[in-house]
Amino acid sequence: MKIYSLGVVFILATMTLTGCVSQKIDDGVIIAPSKYEWVDDGELVIVTYDVYGLNDAMLEEFERQTGYEVTLLKLDDAGSVIDHLLQHKGLQVADIAIGIDNTYLQTAIDNNVLWEHNAVLTNISDLALLPYEGPYAAPFDQGYICLNYDSSVVDGENFTVPQNLWDLTNDEWSGKIAIPSPETSSPGRAFMTATTDYFTHDDDNETEWTDWWTAMSRNEVIITTGWSEAYETHYTGGYGEWTDGYVGNAHAVVSYCHSPGVEAWSAGNWTKSVSLDLPRASFHQVEYAAAIEGGNLDAASAFIQYLMSPEVNSKMPTENYMYSTLKGMDLPEDDGYRFHSRIPDQPANVSATKIAENMENWLAQWNTAMVDA
Amino acid sequence: MKFRLISSCAVIAYTLLVVVPLWLAIDRLIWVAGFNPLDWINSLDGNYISQGVVAFTFLQALLSTVVTLAIGLPIAWQLGRYKWPLHSLIKATLTMPFVMPSIVAAMGFLHLIGPSGLNIRIDDTTWFATLIIAHAWFNLALVIRFCEPVLSTLDPKLEEQMRLLPAGHSKIGRFRNLWAPLLAPSVAAAACMTFVFSFTSFALVRWITLGDNTLESVMANIGSSAGIPNYMLARNEIILGASLIQFTILIASLWLMSWLQHRRQNLLPQASEITVKRVNHRGWMIVFPAVIFALSPLIAVFWASFRIRHTDSSGTSYSWETSGWEFAFAGSGSMSSAWDALWNSLGYAMITLCIALPLGWALAQTILDIEKERPKTARFLDVLTMIPFAASSVMIGLGVMLGMIRVNAEFFYSFWPTPVIAHVMITTPFVVRIMLPALRSLNPIYDECAQTLGIPAWRRFMLIRLPLLRGSILVAVIFTLAMSLGEFGASWVVTRNSDWTTLPVMIDSLRSIPYNNTYTAPAACAVSSVLMGITLLLFTWAEKFRPARDGGMF
Repeated sequence: MKIYSLGVVFILATMTLTGCVSQKIDDGVIIAPSKYEWVDDGELVIVTYDVYGLNDAMLEEFERQTGYEVTLLKLDDAGSVIDHLLQHKGLQVADIAIGIDNTYLQTAIDNNVLWEHNAVLTNISDLALLPYEGPYAAPFDQGYICLNYDSSVVDGENFTVPQNLWDLTNDEWSGKIAIPSPETSSPGRAFMTATTDYFTHDDDNETEWTDWWTAMSRNEVIITTGWSEAYETHYTGGYGEWTDGYVGNAHAVVSYCHSPGVEAWSAGNWTKSVSLDLPRASFHQVEYAAAIEGGNLDAASAFIQYLMSPEVNSKMPTENYMYSTLKGMDLPEDDGYRFHSRIPDQPANVSATKIAENMENWLAQWNTAMVDA
Repeated sequence: MKFRLISSCAVIAYTLLVVVPLWLAIDRLIWVAGFNPLDWINSLDGNYISQGVVAFTFLQALLSTVVTLAIGLPIAWQLGRYKWPLHSLIKATLTMPFVMPSIVAAMGFLHLIGPSGLNIRIDDTTWFATLIIAHAWFNLALVIRFCEPVLSTLDPKLEEQMRLLPAGHSKIGRFRNLWAPLLAPSVAAAACMTFVFSFTSFALVRWITLGDNTLESVMANIGSSAGIPNYMLARNEIILGASLIQFTILIASLWLMSWLQHRRQNLLPQASEITVKRVNHRGWMIVFPAVIFALSPLIAVFWASFRIRHTDSSGTSYSWETSGWEFAFAGSGSMSSAWDALWNSLGYAMITLCIALPLGWALAQTILDIEKERPKTARFLDVLTMIPFAASSVMIGLGVMLGMIRVNAEFFYSFWPTPVIAHVMITTPFVVRIMLPALRSLNPIYDECAQTLGIPAWRRFMLIRLPLLRGSILVAVIFTLAMSLGEFGASWVVTRNSDWTTLPVMIDSLRSIPYNNTYTAPAACAVSSVLMGITLLLFTWAEKFRPARDGGMF
């Protein structure tokens, strides 16, 4: 009888699922640092994704300098980091988020998951402060996202070098371009953002940016979950061709404009990959370190200070394959790193505020454009 | 009275551990997305991220089932009808893939088709076939385990009598009138379970396909943004839609399976194996390639763990080194060492065992005890214990993740055994499935006689029940350990918010390191080899205690 009763209770509970429990739990209260109960427990929990710069030597040096004990929580990508922040809002699970870029930052700020950090930062380049200059996040690396192509195939004979984005919808490029999904990848999201600006400023007033994506979808564009899959598995111009997961069916890929520089630097000044500098088709991406609401603010601020010190931040090009955000820093000249890294003449110009206001809508439009193709 | 208490406790514990997290997760998702099942289903094809996923999931599951049967039936026939030297070893080899963690299989197949293997992955048309074959490899044991007992124990007189009848003159006639009706329920049961496992496959789909997703993998990919108010609302609908379809299909399959199992029992063993089997030299043409097929992904994993790639301006070369193992076991600030993962996995497996075995046993005993007096209640409880089968491991992981965020995230994230909750949810139903037939087969007369002699309950338990159930208990112990050690989907969702990595999650993490790191593949294969070794050890042990003619999955 007891079991039967339990069963009936279970069925009734399941049938009345209307979210009542969750509704009661989620009250969305925002509490300022001064009123929040947080203690400096000597630990620093970092939420991040595969940011290569956070290597052992760098973390151990921070622990030695400050005495904080570091724990690294590695997620899949920048999107997962923001998901984690929103999912655990006010729960004091982690202290600092590293790797949120300027396509996600405003969402984090708007949702009150970040705190103003205490780090004193004086040497940040103006370029790195362009997308955001407030107290909630410190820009620790930057780069430009754009199309790269394999110059051994796209040589003007077998394939024509694209002169504009519409060229990529031609038959010769059918199934030959890999782009990380804007829904799951920050480079993909950044490139989609660039296309909104590109098609707003092009000569053609009859087509929208979504029309281009529809045409790309019809032209069998390869959309991948993340950057790694697009670059390593599909792209013929990168190091992926020497690896086990390689498929090699794309001669163009969305990556960083300095990816060819990284290729050259890694392979003794040799690369067949070239970045494509089309006006407004590239995006200036800045990645941030930010203190998380409810976390150990002192430890987070100490880490931001450390990350932005010239000793650490100047190593971004070699440790993290991104540009430093400090004044006067550039990529190294060794093995063609700087030579093969193109800085776009005219990247897309979309403010962080505009991104935050429109991103959800853009993603919905992008989704419709791809589904309707 | 004592027993009623144990039964009640088991049902309450199971409800708390298994049903509540799932309920909390669904409740949360519904709160964010709203209650409109039709919208949930429509969202699957209305979003690019999940477009075509339903069709792909069904297609690959159906094809996997067909190919598994096509490969498995001739092997089952050979094993069942003929005498083989080292029969037990051959059978163990062919059925071992089923207990092998799917992520290990994924690593093996990636290397078999990769540049250092057959080098056919470069052609993007081959990966789909690879996925289907990998599923066939994984589920081969189901066909053998379900069909071989029927084939090996059918009284030969039946076939001889059939030969004399007009309907049994030809091979086709005997097949149609004797073998087909006899084998049909077993083949259908094997097909049903193969379909279920292929339908919910995650690790193989994640690693072998190129961008294509099943319902399971799409839920895993977008799970991190589930349950957040006013954020990525469509994703909640997708997860609910995917769960609803999966739940419906899997519940239907499990009901069908339950019905088929009942029919199978009436057709099982009718003669000793010794009286039936003959020698068949030509059968080696099937058995030998089958053994190679079963072993090749595992050999590939071990072999690839020592093969290190060196790329420089002069090209690519390979050398044989142990540095992949050293890389995996050294660990770093940003990556746990394989030792940590190993201890975590072993610890979680042991705790899982300590909870799932008594819980599953008590539930099985409860079902058995009430099925005569209250068959409907027993049936309800039986289905309730199968809910985790129908929910899939990723959904279970999401349930645990969302559940602990809602209940007390600070506590659960600092509580090392947290991932055990997901493991218990997944393994308990298997314990019930193993223990229930064993308990049913116990002859109550022994216990009654002992009771008449005045032997107290605990001594009866120790002297009669325990020795009689020893084989099944050990099989349950070993499978619980093996399943917990190899569990990937739920752990992948749960442990990504913590630094308690397990062996399967570590394999995935290592393999996800960008491939310009020389050790990405060898280190992943080194950890896979460790997991493979432990699983093989457990499997070999389990084979010693498996009831001889059970004919089930395990």
